[in-house]
This record gives sequence, C-alpha cells and structure tokens, in this order.
Amino acid sequence: MLWLIPVLFVVAFITFSLMHLVPGGPWDQEKQLAPQVVENLNRKYNLDKPFIVQFGNFLWNAVRGDLGVSYSYQDKGVTQILLSGLPKTAGLGVTAFLIAIIIGIPLGIAAALKQNSTVDYISVFFSTLFANIPGFVIGILFIILFSVTLHVLPTGGWGSIKQVIMPAVALAALPAAYIARVTRASMLEVKHQDYIRTAQAKGLASRVIIIRHMLRNALIPVMTIAGPELAALVTGSFIIESLFSIPGIGRLFVQGVFARDYGLIMGTILFYAFAVALVNLIVDILYAVVDPRIRYE
Amino acid sequence: MAIAIEATRPHHSLWGDAIIRLKRNRFAVAGAIIIFLITMLAFLVSVFSPYRFDQQDLNAILQGPSKAHPFGTDDLGRDVLTRLLYGARTSLAVGIFAQFIVLIIGIPIGAFSASASSRVDNFIMRFVDVIYAFPDILFIILIRSILGGSIYMMFLAIGLVAWVNVARLIRGQVLFQKQRDFVIAARAMGASERYITIKHLIPNSLGPVIVAVTFNIPRAIFAEAALSYIGIGIKPPTPSWGTMIRDGYDVIFAAPYLVLFPAVAIGMLMLSFTFLGDGLRDALDPRLRR
Amino acid sequence: MESLLAVDNLSTHFYTQDGLVKAVNGVSYRVAKGETIALVGESGCGKTVSALSILRLVHEPPGKIVAGSVTFEDVDLLKVSNSEMRRVRGAKIAMVFQEPMTSLNPVLTIGRQVSETLELHQHMGRQAALREAIKLLGMVGIPQAEHRVKDYPHHFSGGMRQRVMIAMAIACHPRLLIADEPTTALDATIQAQLLELIKTLTRELGTSVILITHNLGIVARYAQRVYVMYAGRIIEHGPAQMIYDKPRHPYTVGLLASVPRLDESRKTRLMSIKGQPPDLIYPPPGCAFKPRCSYGTQCQDESLDLVEVAPGHYCSCQLAPQRKQ
Repeated sequence: MLWLIPVLFVVAFITFSLMHLVPGGPWDQEKQLAPQVVENLNRKYNLDKPFIVQFGNFLWNAVRGDLGVSYSYQDKGVTQILLSGLPKTAGLGVTAFLIAIIIGIPLGIAAALKQNSTVDYISVFFSTLFANIPGFVIGILFIILFSVTLHVLPTGGWGSIKQVIMPAVALAALPAAYIARVTRASMLEVKHQDYIRTAQAKGLASRVIIIRHMLRNALIPVMTIAGPELAALVTGSFIIESLFSIPGIGRLFVQGVFARDYGLIMGTILFYAFAVALVNLIVDILYAVVDPRIRYE
Repeated sequence: MAIAIEATRPHHSLWGDAIIRLKRNRFAVAGAIIIFLITMLAFLVSVFSPYRFDQQDLNAILQGPSKAHPFGTDDLGRDVLTRLLYGARTSLAVGIFAQFIVLIIGIPIGAFSASASSRVDNFIMRFVDVIYAFPDILFIILIRSILGGSIYMMFLAIGLVAWVNVARLIRGQVLFQKQRDFVIAARAMGASERYITIKHLIPNSLGPVIVAVTFNIPRAIFAEAALSYIGIGIKPPTPSWGTMIRDGYDVIFAAPYLVLFPAVAIGMLMLSFTFLGDGLRDALDPRLRR
Repeated sequence: MESLLAVDNLSTHFYTQDGLVKAVNGVSYRVAKGETIALVGESGCGKTVSALSILRLVHEPPGKIVAGSVTFEDVDLLKVSNSEMRRVRGAKIAMVFQEPMTSLNPVLTIGRQVSETLELHQHMGRQAALREAIKLLGMVGIPQAEHRVKDYPHHFSGGMRQRVMIAMAIACHPRLLIADEPTTALDATIQAQLLELIKTLTRELGTSVILITHNLGIVARYAQRVYVMYAGRIIEHGPAQMIYDKPRHPYTVGLLASVPRLDESRKTRLMSIKGQPPDLIYPPPGCAFKPRCSYGTQCQDESLDLVEVAPGHYCSCQLAPQRKQ
C-alpha cells in the first residue's frame, strides 16, 4: 500500500512535466495578450520561476490540500472547483458500483449454483455482452430509447432519481458483467472444494452451506477486483458525465483540457490518482477482514 | 480384457492447431467476419458510394433513411452511411496503428527488462506499475492535449499509454522461456544473449502478445471515439464516429439515427474484436491443446 | 449377526465424457454394533465411492447410485428424503476424510466448525456448543483447546487438523464412523497416534467404524473384519486374523506379500503385483484380476459369487477352495 505514495509523486511529476513541455504558455488560447500582460500574469502565478521550484511549490501546496489555481475560473481555487463537482461524481460512482454489485453478485451465484441452466446461460450471455461494450454506447442507447423514443426520462442533469438512473446503469453495466463473471467462476471453484463436502457430511442444509461456507470464500476473489473496478468507475465516469451533462469532476476535467487550464488539469489528475489510491487502500483493508489467512502478514 | 485403443492424431504445429480451434469458436468467427466486412466496406466506400464524405446537400437536411440515403442525412445534408464507413476507416486505423507504437515501445522494453539485472528490472517494473495503476484514458487526454490534433498524434498518444500491457507480458514470457531447455541448449552452443532473445524468446512469446494486441484494439477504438466526442479527437472534416455522435447529439430528438448508427457501430466493432480476442486466447493456450 | 449397517448389492456409476464408469459394481458389506471393519484396496477400486454412497454424498451428475440398498437401523437410506438424510449425516453416521489440509473451511474458526454440528443436531445454543467443542478438542488431544478454539485451520498442522476432523465427527456421538484413509496424507508417526485415537474414542463411545485404507499394515491392529475390494467389487472378506493368516484370493495374497516387513532380510526384493488395475469403463466380464493373476489362467469360470472357504471367510476366486495354501 505504501508504494502508492511514490505513485502519486511520479504521476504528479509526469503531469507537471508534460504541462511544461507545451510550447507557449497557458495564455495563448483566447486572445492575443500584450507581452507585458503575459509577463505580469506569469509572475503572478509563479510561472517564471525555475521548474523545480514550481514543482516543489505545487507539491507543498498539494499536500496541504491546495491544488493550485484555475486559470480559467480566476476567482476560484482548483480545490474548491473540484469539491463542488465531487458530490456528483462520487454519487454517480457509488450508485453505479452498488448497482453493479447488486446485479452482478447474485447473478454470478445463481449461475454457478444452477450450472448449465437457463439462468446460467443468461448470465454468461449478459456478462460477455456488457463486459465489452462501453458504458458510453449503452448510455447513448438508453437516451435514444428512454428519452427520445419513450419520453420517460430526461437526457441529463443531476438531482432527481430520474436523472441518476440512466447514467448510473450505463456506468454500472460493464462492472456488473465483469463481477458476475468473476463471481460465477469463483463460486464454481468453491463448490467443488473438499471443505464443502465436509460441510455436507455434517448434515448441514444447502442454504446454510451456501451462505456460511461458500459465499465468504467465493467472494474473496471478487473483492480483489472490486477495488480496481470502483476506482475505474470513479475515474472513468467523465465520459458519462459529459454525455449526460452532469456537472461532476469528470466534466470539469474535460472542460479544463479544452480550455488548456493547466492548473485545473494538474489538480484533477492528482485528485484522481489520490482517489484511486484511497479506494485500493480501503479494499486492501476489507480483504484482510474477510480472509483470515492474510491477516498476520 | 480391456481393449486399449491407440488413437492416432494428425500432428499440428501450434499455429495450425490454433487456427483449427479458433474456427470452432462461433463467436470468434462471427467477430472476425464482422471485422472483415467492415474493413472491406471501409476500404471500398470510395468506390461504390455515390457521395463524398464531406459532400453537402442543403436540400436534403436531416432526412431519415431512404432509398437515396440508406442511413439518412445529417444536418448538412451529408450521407450518413458514407460518413459512417469513412469513420470506420478512422476507427480501424487508430485501433490498429496505435498497436504498432505499442509494440515498438513495449516489446523492447519488456525484453530488455527481462534480460537486465534484477535492480534495473525492478525499477522498470515499478514504473510500469505506476502507469498501469493510473486510468489510461486520462493520460491519453493529457498527452493528446499537448501533442496536438493530427491523427498520427492520436496513434502516438494512445500508444504511449497502452504499451505497458505488452511490456509486462513480454517480460513475463521472456523470463519464463529463458529457463526452458531449448534456450539452455542454445546457450550451450555458444549463442549470445541477444541472439537468443531475438531468435528464440520473442517468437515463442508471440502468442499472448497477439491476444493482448487484439484486446487492445477495441480500447484504442473507444479512446479515439471518446476523445472525438469530447472534442479533442480527430479534427473535422475527417469523419469519426465520436465526432458524428457529438454533432448529432444536438439534434437527437429530431434525428436520433444520427447518434444511433455511430454508437451501434462502435459497440459492434469493439465486441467483434473482443470475441476474436477471446477466441484467440483460447486457441493459443498451449494447455488446451488436445 | 445383528448389523448396524448393511450395504447390499450397491452399485454406483459415473456418467463421464469418456464413458460409463462402474465405480462400485454390486458391493455388499455389513457392520455390527461396536465393530470396526476395514475396507481395503488400491486407489481407484471404489472404496471411497461406496462410503460416499452410504451418505449419499456422490455428486449427482456425473454420479448416480443405480442399484442396491443401504440399511441402517432398519431403514434403507437410499430411499429416505433429503431432509431425513441430513438428520442422519453428522449425527448418526459421520465421516472423516482423507485430506485434512483441504477439508476444513479456511475462513471459519475451528471452534465454529465443530460447534455448528452441535448446534444443528443437538440444538445447543452458541455458548453451550462452544463449550462442548472445547471439550471435544481436548478429547482428541489438542492442547490448550480453550485458546485454540478461536484459531483458523491454517494455524494447525495436518495431524492437528485431522484431529479436529475427528472431533467434528464424534461430536454428536454417531453410531457409525466412516474413516476414509484418515492417515494416508500424514507422517507415519502421526498415523499411529491418530489411529490409536480413533480406536480409543470409538471404543469409549461404542461407535462402529468403517476404516477405509490401502495400507494393509494398519488393518490388522484396528479391524475385526476385513473386506478386500478390487475393480469395484468385493473379492474377499472375513475375520481379520484369517485374512492375514490364510489369504485366499490371489489379489489379497499379492497385497499382503507386497507389504514390506521388518522381519525379512534387507536384500529381499519388494514384491509387487504385476500389471495395472483395469479401466473401470470397460470392466472385463468375470474376474477382473485375471490378467494379473500369478496363479495362471486355469479358471474359466466367470462367476463372481463369494464362496465360503472357511467359516466366515468368503472369497470370489472360484479356484480358491481347491488351492492348497
């Protein structure tokens, strides 16, 4: 887990360097500014200092929670901007994750317990299909179906359940399929373990065996992928946010890239890296809680 | 008395055996056929389509599918089917050519890392881990916004991020193959490390690499579409499915097909490559040889 | 004799991709109250499958019990309902398996795994069951049981885990214990300890035992009667002493001869039975042992009925009665 700190460092460094490789400064975009103005702006934002100094400043501030200033929203700090978008992105990500789990795990379990039955075939079909079609495409299909054709759901925005449901489900489709597949494979493996036979020989009822003996063992591999999936959800949601006009961090990031707002870009990337690290950390902890074999390592 | 039946099987090379197994996988075959069809159509569109992709006809704006325009027209009267197929060219080009960058960067780094001292190897692998841990699409966006707008830069941007998979794979393969008997034999005959790496190790590692590349292609296709949708992708007037979605979204209520067709195209192409990749992976898995 | 368990003509087949495997092909044996019998044979001869069939633990596809009856306390277990069967398992008939390393659930404490049987069959509350579990663990020789009860299986060695399995099995004082190669996966010294433990406990509780093994060396000490299995059939059975002194079936002879003995000189070659066990998909008609039989092939008789060659001692080799020992 500790290796995540160097990861953050390297990510910050790479991003920072890339930003500074761009010819011309951040001021080229909108209008031609007089050289004097450019010089003043550069001085104001410390852009005339040596690279190392700038980087050092940035890191120092970042650690204290200040992710710099946004060049396009000149009256707001990056941290502030990100925090305004955070609830939407987090809400979307968590909702999608929950949907993915609620659909994926039971589907996988049912498919494994009733191998080669209808449920199994549906589950495998569903997993294969949705594991490979991006949420973006699914989202578009949803919009066309539910908004344009059926007029039951709005095409975007954020706030009401009706606005949440399409983006969340579109985002959840891929993780759900993947989770279903992993759960099924894992349950199948657990089903044939010796200790399940022992449990049967003790006269336990099937339901007890499934819940008490099989599930915890089967869910361990599922947890190892759940973490990266959640992280991917949080960071990959930006395209869904753009599609559904959700004012979350993703969309802010996209706008920042468009506007060459390096402050915002840097801050967002660092923020994403941190979010990924945090999620993985939480999953590692949960993993130790669930699997007693790795607790004392 | 138990009768032992000695079955004789025809002997296949790894590749021959793989092709046979691949042909048995119906999804993979379907995927391959779809890819082939789309590629052919994309190639030949300039031959059989009466329209150019940027040909505007302001008298025929936003028409639904008709005989003249099987997939309809967009807001500038351009034929959607034609644009769709030109867009296929873009997607396929990006998907496939980005892989060249991936291979050019990934294979040498992987092979080098596996043959280098363990400290160097560790260092490189940590670096790879870092890039791997980070969501690739964000990096691609970043690199793209720096490198600029041409399609070649798109290959580069995607390739610069996606090589890590292949590097890791090659490294693992090389390390594994290095201790196999035929390598020891080659070494005993006096072959140099570089010779061994190039002539023995890399060809033997090709199987998983082919599979990895096949899986990488739909991700590259998606990356291009996503970037174009956001607005930092392929510059118009070159058609791209992502751009078509972006442009068509404005009139989605009036003409949903403008968005539907490119979206379905993206999904279908990605799915086809993935099925093919699944099939290839099973076909090339030496453990499943019968 | 009045038997606790009577297996009659049991046949269990497996429907596999390669064909129909007749793992158990008309097997019969009996266990009396308080008696320990041994079921002996090579790996793959069907002894484990016959035991699993008693408890109906054979995986339904691909396996299937196709014929026979298993009479336990005057009830045919093959005909009772699933819930009836569950009441028997663990409570009246218990089983100890071969692989202690994988037979315990890695994510549950051993205390829980022992107490759940008690909670289920004896309707004990959680605390009471745990206390009883501690007692049982002590009985099977686990030191500091009250502390170890909270440990997980991976904290225990193979021999210890097998003791836990034994504790789990005898927890509800079953009438019959099936021990399927309980010591095969363990060191020789541990083997002896565990077998002694089983013997002591079952004698105390009056439990009958079916001891399944391929190791003839241990059978004599622990079993009163022996059944020898080959290729899915019982080919000889009788009192342990008689089987050891005067084995009649050529296979049994070969088995006994291949056990290394301390009183032989070092230079004596280890005997083995030539050939391989037959493929159970295409079992040969008649005597399955014929191809490997070192007594030659004078027998043309295809009958497999067990013939009494001495009081209580039966053998399926048709030429056995005529052979001099």
